[in-house]
Amino acid sequence: MASIIGLTINGRKQEHLIPDAMLLVDFLRDKLGLTGTKKGCDGGECGACTVLVDGKQRLGCMTLAKSVAGKTVETIESVGPHGRLSRLQTAFHEKLGTQCGFCTPGMIMAAESLLRDNPDPDEDEIRTALSGNLCRCTGYVKIIESVQAAIAAGEVGK
Amino acid sequence: MSAPVTQVGVGDRVPLVDGIEKVRGVAKYTADLAAEGALVGRILRSPYSHAELLDVDISKAEALPGVIAVITGKDAPIPYGIVPIAQNEYPLAQEKVRYRGEPIAAVAAVDEATAEAALDLIELTVRELPGYYNAAASRAADAVLLHDNKPGNIERDVHSTFGDVEVGFAEADLVAEDVFHCEEVTHAHMEPHAAIAEYDPQRDHLTFHSVTQVPYYVHLMLAQCMDMNKSRIRVIKPFVGGGFGARTETLNFELVCGILARAAKGRVRMVLTREETFLTHRGRPAADITLKLGLSKTGRITAVKAEMEQYGGAYGGYGIVTILYAGALLNALYDIPAVQYDGYRVYTNTPPCGAMRGHGTVDMRHAFDTMLNRMARQLGLDPIEVRRANLLKAPTETLNGLQVTSYGLPETLDWVEQASGWKDRKGKMPKGRGLGIGCSHFVSGAAKPVQWTGQPDAVVNLKLDFDGGITILTGAADIGQGSSTVVAQIVAEVMGLDHSRLRVISNDSALTPRDMGSYSSRVTYMVGNATLDAAEKLKARLIRAAAKALETEPENIECAGETYRVANSQDQGIPFDKVVQTALIDHGAITERGTFTVPKSFQGGKHRGGAVGSTMGFSYASQVVEVSVDEETGEITVEKVWVSHDCGYPINPLAVEGQVQGAIWMGMGQAMMEETRFHEGLPLHANFLDYSFPTIMDSPDIEVHIVESMDPNGPFGAKEASEGGLAGFLPALAEAVSEAIGCDINDMPLTPDRILDALTKQRRAEKRRKAKA
Amino acid sequence: MSAEMDFELATPKDASEAVALMQANPGACYIAGGTDLVANLRRGIGAPPMLIALDGIAEMQTIAEDGTHLVIGASVTLARLMAEGLPKRFAAMSALAEVAGPGLREAATIGGNLCLDTRCIFYNQSKWWRKANGYCLKLDGDTCHVAPKGKRCHAAFSGDVAPALLVLGAEVQVVGSGGARWMPLSDLYREDGLDHLTLGAGELLVAVRIPLAAAALHSGYAKSRLRKAVDFPLAGVAVALDCKDGRIADLRVAVTGTNPRPILFDHFPDAIGQEPTGAVLDAITREIGKDITPMRTTNMPGMYRRQMAGVLVKRLITRLCAGQGAKG
Repeated sequence: MASIIGLTINGRKQEHLIPDAMLLVDFLRDKLGLTGTKKGCDGGECGACTVLVDGKQRLGCMTLAKSVAGKTVETIESVGPHGRLSRLQTAFHEKLGTQCGFCTPGMIMAAESLLRDNPDPDEDEIRTALSGNLCRCTGYVKIIESVQAAIAAGEVGK
Repeated sequence: MSAPVTQVGVGDRVPLVDGIEKVRGVAKYTADLAAEGALVGRILRSPYSHAELLDVDISKAEALPGVIAVITGKDAPIPYGIVPIAQNEYPLAQEKVRYRGEPIAAVAAVDEATAEAALDLIELTVRELPGYYNAAASRAADAVLLHDNKPGNIERDVHSTFGDVEVGFAEADLVAEDVFHCEEVTHAHMEPHAAIAEYDPQRDHLTFHSVTQVPYYVHLMLAQCMDMNKSRIRVIKPFVGGGFGARTETLNFELVCGILARAAKGRVRMVLTREETFLTHRGRPAADITLKLGLSKTGRITAVKAEMEQYGGAYGGYGIVTILYAGALLNALYDIPAVQYDGYRVYTNTPPCGAMRGHGTVDMRHAFDTMLNRMARQLGLDPIEVRRANLLKAPTETLNGLQVTSYGLPETLDWVEQASGWKDRKGKMPKGRGLGIGCSHFVSGAAKPVQWTGQPDAVVNLKLDFDGGITILTGAADIGQGSSTVVAQIVAEVMGLDHSRLRVISNDSALTPRDMGSYSSRVTYMVGNATLDAAEKLKARLIRAAAKALETEPENIECAGETYRVANSQDQGIPFDKVVQTALIDHGAITERGTFTVPKSFQGGKHRGGAVGSTMGFSYASQVVEVSVDEETGEITVEKVWVSHDCGYPINPLAVEGQVQGAIWMGMGQAMMEETRFHEGLPLHANFLDYSFPTIMDSPDIEVHIVESMDPNGPFGAKEASEGGLAGFLPALAEAVSEAIGCDINDMPLTPDRILDALTKQRRAEKRRKAKA
Repeated sequence: MSAEMDFELATPKDASEAVALMQANPGACYIAGGTDLVANLRRGIGAPPMLIALDGIAEMQTIAEDGTHLVIGASVTLARLMAEGLPKRFAAMSALAEVAGPGLREAATIGGNLCLDTRCIFYNQSKWWRKANGYCLKLDGDTCHVAPKGKRCHAAFSGDVAPALLVLGAEVQVVGSGGARWMPLSDLYREDGLDHLTLGAGELLVAVRIPLAAAALHSGYAKSRLRKAVDFPLAGVAVALDCKDGRIADLRVAVTGTNPRPILFDHFPDAIGQEPTGAVLDAITREIGKDITPMRTTNMPGMYRRQMAGVLVKRLITRLCAGQGAKG
């Protein structure tokens, strides 16, 4: 079974024929070529596939693509429009919040969702917001510093 | 000389040259690559721990519509492995399977569902054999051999003695012996394994993309196992999502993917599940260690005797190297007059172990530094002072023939002592709190490669053409550690040029010079030196060109990055582009080659296995760990880590900090919670819930200090930065926990249940003592 | 190895349509947030021909007060309940923040969390793994590898929210072909890892209600786990009590993560009127310990989980009696 659903992806309204059993992460990666969203585990354990659905962080690997019908989905590819880096992206780059880079898109999306709700979180709030995103390279120290640097740099999503 | 164009040379905090792609999500990892029309490759894995494979019937699978190719061990009859003399692993099992998860057959099909269905149609006929899941079971007298040519199921035993151990113990004021056990841990890199193989049957060519740290080894083993000329193979390494040693050898799925693509006469994409990635393993083996240490009452080490047994898994892999490392690197951290080592690498019916960050050194270092800390306590000495009593003096050669040419351990001790407030706080922590120290070291590249070719240890090409851009061609595999950034910084520094003129192309066997890959922390040291050589040669060539253009002698030319001019003159100079144009006259595109070769004198002792552990530069690290422990729940909270790392010279301090933090944190995972577990050889940990490594909520601040010992042979004085600190975390944690709860625990990891068990045992012992008294 | 999922996704507009769909399609499954179900399906645990989505049912998305109760639609997400300040009204509902990670809490629903499948290291594995192990009593096999001689499934219920709601005296509304009924939450569960929910064929949990009076209790939730995020509880304990002049006046304890069901303990005659001294707490823990039977369903030993249940019970009671857990 498949059916046509409408949704907004990275700012564009679209319609797609989506099989009932397709996961959001596979839809994004395989159908739309948005491979910035990663698959790191066999389901729900690592956060590498974190995207925003209606502005909130969700795991693409635990979400049926059809269940986001009518909603707004944002992936890492939509952050920092016109080829410019967002403040979070700039900070993750400059502060070495990314090493191998595989957890990075999910990490940035989770941080993005935090900063939209809470523009000035303290360290505990940053940790809590990123607590579902595993990283194996950094020990998280520079990830926290990156989010803090982005906050210091000003408004997010810009 | 005027200032360089921008501050992007060595010593600067330079963001990764490929970092923008990563934060934008456009970096392509293997599974992200467009693979139009690719067939889906899937592997049938052994459900048996140990069995004779009597028949693998693929006829039904082959008949399934949509199945393009099915291969078995018959299609993969050539073995592979890392150590040329010990290759006993096949891409697909031959007459026997030796662990649950071992590849037996593989299918290429038009889609995932068909491939899956085909696997279900393959019928196995086997005769089951007993499975052995620990060293003792494997070594039992009546145990069936996993490999017929390895009696006692011992892959390799190592015995070495340097100095007079018995005299050393006789001279000691305190001799202690204890038994330690460290559980097996694994890399758990975030990116699951994946490969894409494209076979062109017209040309008999294979193009291969994989997640490897060692593209050149993969190239070599593909050629070997597929019986293809190496020139017909092209291996490309895309972005790689971590490795930590998991990918420092050719892995079975890579060879299976290549063979499958040839059988299917097309393109096969193989993306492993997280479970399969765990099954592929190659991590740090479980180890039993018996350690005996002698100390004088001033804390001087008089002798050490160590025995280690590693549960190596079903195949050799790096096993021989691992068991040798564990013994060899008892040396070169402290000054020890007598060292005896007996190591046993044992085959077990579990996924093969291999190299993992801190290869071979970590569990032994835990045992050694933990003993040192405890004996210091018994002698009433400060454990930092005990270490100061046993420092080496560089340059020196260790008993086993290792060269120590730079040695920043004393400075690392000084810093962690001061930063942690050690003198005022150690031994006086409130109940439930503790401080502990550990030291560790690691090689900056193995001085003697496993594969002898007679070629330099590293080659880097710099290509300069009409556009005035310098393309750095390196085979070094950047897997996130920042090696591409380091080579770019070195070129920028030497040439005085901005990064905008540079581009790094790494790891495409069709373009880049062969490189052995990213393991044993060799890249900054060896590839860095080769890059330095190439950049200096290129600069010299450009100076000659500028001299020609300015009608002077090269020694008069002053290079200021974008401008070359006659020194001490009013000359305005000529711009870089003009220099390049001149250099290209009559010559065309320039490729300047830099190399690095480790001199023989660094390649270790003459004894058997003496090359393992040899290096041109050891890194050194000290760390103090502060913990609080909840005695009722057994939960440890690491409050803070202070670590000082001697990396010789930080070419990129930002990246050094990141590497050191990552290493310390990975040591923390091993020390606190990580372990593999098996149920009759089936992994009980093959996901990120059950193989738990620390989340951001569990991770402390790790304050990094860098010591610059200026290694005489490293590029700009640099040594390794990403492995040396890991091992020291384990003993530092054990010591801190001991202070917090008054209880010594020998086994790793210190999970809450082990803490509670130890406390219970201690209370019982206390009761018995009181009852007696 | 991952399993290929293949199912039809039905999207009913109200609960009765959902129930009708379920009754017309044997083998179908309800899916709410999907955070438990999808993880299992991807491992080939179950292959339902149809999933019946509950996220489009408006009546299951409401939060309202009816004078005596706070009534929460079963499809309300955990994140929304946190954002609505539920943990501030009922302190034990801090359990919401202990579930998995933030991304999953945005999808996971309260009904789903109450109806989580039971978990076991011999069950939450891939199809390849389970087949190699000869399957198990809970799925496709006839042996429980946790207790091979027994004929019971010991898979443990591992939801965090259930114990909190149990001590708050919550009830759940169930809709079936015969209409809707309310029942105490504790009646939703039975001590059988194979079939731990008492829901009848096709029945659907549509709402949860918490008595407003429970806001007056001191309550709290504490969780034992290896990591401070992501993990399921090794043992999770909720306590609600009333305390008068330092003496226990009313006491309810619920434990999750140890047994096939979350267990409510609300009968402590010996503790009522007592100060929470060591002896009283020991007696409470002993009472609970009679029913807490963690088995080898996790990598952490059952004994440790049992110990933790006791430690957390004592700590919570002590803290709540000391008034540190503000009312709610």
